[in-house]
Amino acid sequence: MQIKPILSALRRHKAGTILIALQIALTLAIVCNALFIVHERVDKVNRTTGLDETNLIAIGNDYVGAPETFAPLMKTDLQTLRSLPGVVDAYVTNAYPLRQGGWSTGVQTDPDSKKEGISTALYFGDDHALKTLGVRLIAGRNFNAGETQTVKREQQPGSPQIIVTKALADKVFPDGNALGKVVYLAKGKPSTIIGIVEKLTSPWIENNYVDGDYVVIMPVIFDSSFQNFLVRTQPGQEDAVFKAIPQALYAVNRMRVLPEKLGVRRFEDVRARAYEADRGMAILMSVVCGVLLAITAAGIVGLSSFWVGQRRKQIGVRRALGARRSDILSYFMTENFLIALVGVVVGVVLAVGLSQWMFTHFEMKRLSLTYVGIGVVALLALGQAAVFAPALRASRVSPVEATRSV
Amino acid sequence: MLKMTHLAKVYRTEVVETYALRDFNIDVKEGEFVAVTGPSGSGKTTFLTIAGLLETFTGGQYHLDGVEVSQLDDNARSRIRNEKIGFIFQAFNLIPDLNVFDNVEVPLRYRGMKAAERKQRIMDALERVGLASRAKHYPAELSGGQQQRVAIARALAGSPRLLLADEPTGNLDTQMARGVMELLEEIHREGATIVMVTHDPELAARAQRNVHVIDGQVVDLSEEPRFHTQPHVALS
Repeated sequence: MQIKPILSALRRHKAGTILIALQIALTLAIVCNALFIVHERVDKVNRTTGLDETNLIAIGNDYVGAPETFAPLMKTDLQTLRSLPGVVDAYVTNAYPLRQGGWSTGVQTDPDSKKEGISTALYFGDDHALKTLGVRLIAGRNFNAGETQTVKREQQPGSPQIIVTKALADKVFPDGNALGKVVYLAKGKPSTIIGIVEKLTSPWIENNYVDGDYVVIMPVIFDSSFQNFLVRTQPGQEDAVFKAIPQALYAVNRMRVLPEKLGVRRFEDVRARAYEADRGMAILMSVVCGVLLAITAAGIVGLSSFWVGQRRKQIGVRRALGARRSDILSYFMTENFLIALVGVVVGVVLAVGLSQWMFTHFEMKRLSLTYVGIGVVALLALGQAAVFAPALRASRVSPVEATRSV
Repeated sequence: MLKMTHLAKVYRTEVVETYALRDFNIDVKEGEFVAVTGPSGSGKTTFLTIAGLLETFTGGQYHLDGVEVSQLDDNARSRIRNEKIGFIFQAFNLIPDLNVFDNVEVPLRYRGMKAAERKQRIMDALERVGLASRAKHYPAELSGGQQQRVAIARALAGSPRLLLADEPTGNLDTQMARGVMELLEEIHREGATIVMVTHDPELAARAQRNVHVIDGQVVDLSEEPRFHTQPHVALS
């Protein structure tokens, strides 16, 4: 190995060595944390909702005017939507997963409890809700048509029957057997759990309001001007239905607004909008990583090329004294590896420090050591890849270079 | 030890061929001290680079220590340079980033020698040139004469069969040059084969035998009246 003489030589080129090691260290620190953030965001963006999101259309509808009740309008609209060619089913609700706006309430088993209960998302619906959403009922039954009630704005929504998610059922009744049990929603009347669905997420992508997939579906039509319709189409019919919806709805009642961005949306657009910021952050962080790695690689290529150019004569002398091409190649590769090694050691300290700082100031998760490991390997590999071309050029310097005057 | 027969070295461009060496013949026996002289551009340095396997040649034959070298690959040539040849350059060619000890160690490392043996050989070689006390010094901290002595130690440390010296005193003042020359003579007396390229007639006179090169060919000095004043035989 040539480590000792390489270290001796590097001691005589402190400035360049320290700068490149520092660049590697900073790159590692930033890239580890950035990749960690990217991975977290990608995980978040890829979270499932429990819905069958394909062939699903969401409609944000605002009735104009001030009729005494909106219930008949909703009923007509539902009939219109359900009768459209290519539509499987439809229902009206206050909120749905990824909508980023909805209702939450507290669930408790003791009606006299002073506590708030388990915070849970509240979805309104009817006997068409489960089929439209495409969620899987794993216990109990669906609502009956006769169980749906219309609730006025000023009334406290409530229902004797509710369907809950498995996550909520397990949370409220950790021993199981939630089906048939009675719970109380926000100091309301008793509600019996008549069905349990496998999975359904709350409307929010952050857990600020609801700490898990805790959802209650209530057979309620809420009598207010703003409503959300969800429409399930037959496979291959989504585009046709998507185009037909505005015309059909306006045809039965023009006194409405279907907002441009929140009006008729394919569910993939709902998902895209919900995770816009996260995707943006992931892309930004990826670009930052890419740029940093490119700059570091360019720095290594630049410095190595400069050193090779500066040491042509020396390389020729080494070749004259018996160095093989592979010895020269390995000299420069080893030299870079040693610099990069110092860089990554400092970088690991910086990466963990940066993560700790972000944890303290921005409530971010602590950096997983896996990312540090990946970063170390990536930076060492990047260094070796970047130095390879200059090192190869160095190895091609002819031994006769030793006899040439500078 | 070193035998070149009808050797040619041609540099070709698209329009012209330049013969650096043409029908070049030389035979250096083991233990000889040969000075290769000639005017600038005569081809003596080209001869030395080919002799030292630093460059390939275009035609003819070259046997080094009994081995025909024209068909050897780059690795084999490197190994021969490392094991059989010691170089002494006009500009010393020490590596400025390495101290004296590490400079002398360079060829030994390429031979894959164990650390203990390397150390022994380095110290022996430095003792031999009288610079053992400067082992930790860097080249820039030494005089030109001392640097050339370190270069000689580097050449000797690997116990080569052949020492090739390219104007070894060209960059030195008279006093330092004398010291280096005396060292080479001493090394020769101990049995080394030395081929020295020089344009200095005084230096050449101290070699056992002179070979004169003009226009890429070895010429017989007896046919060259201009050089009759220069002796053919060394003074040893």
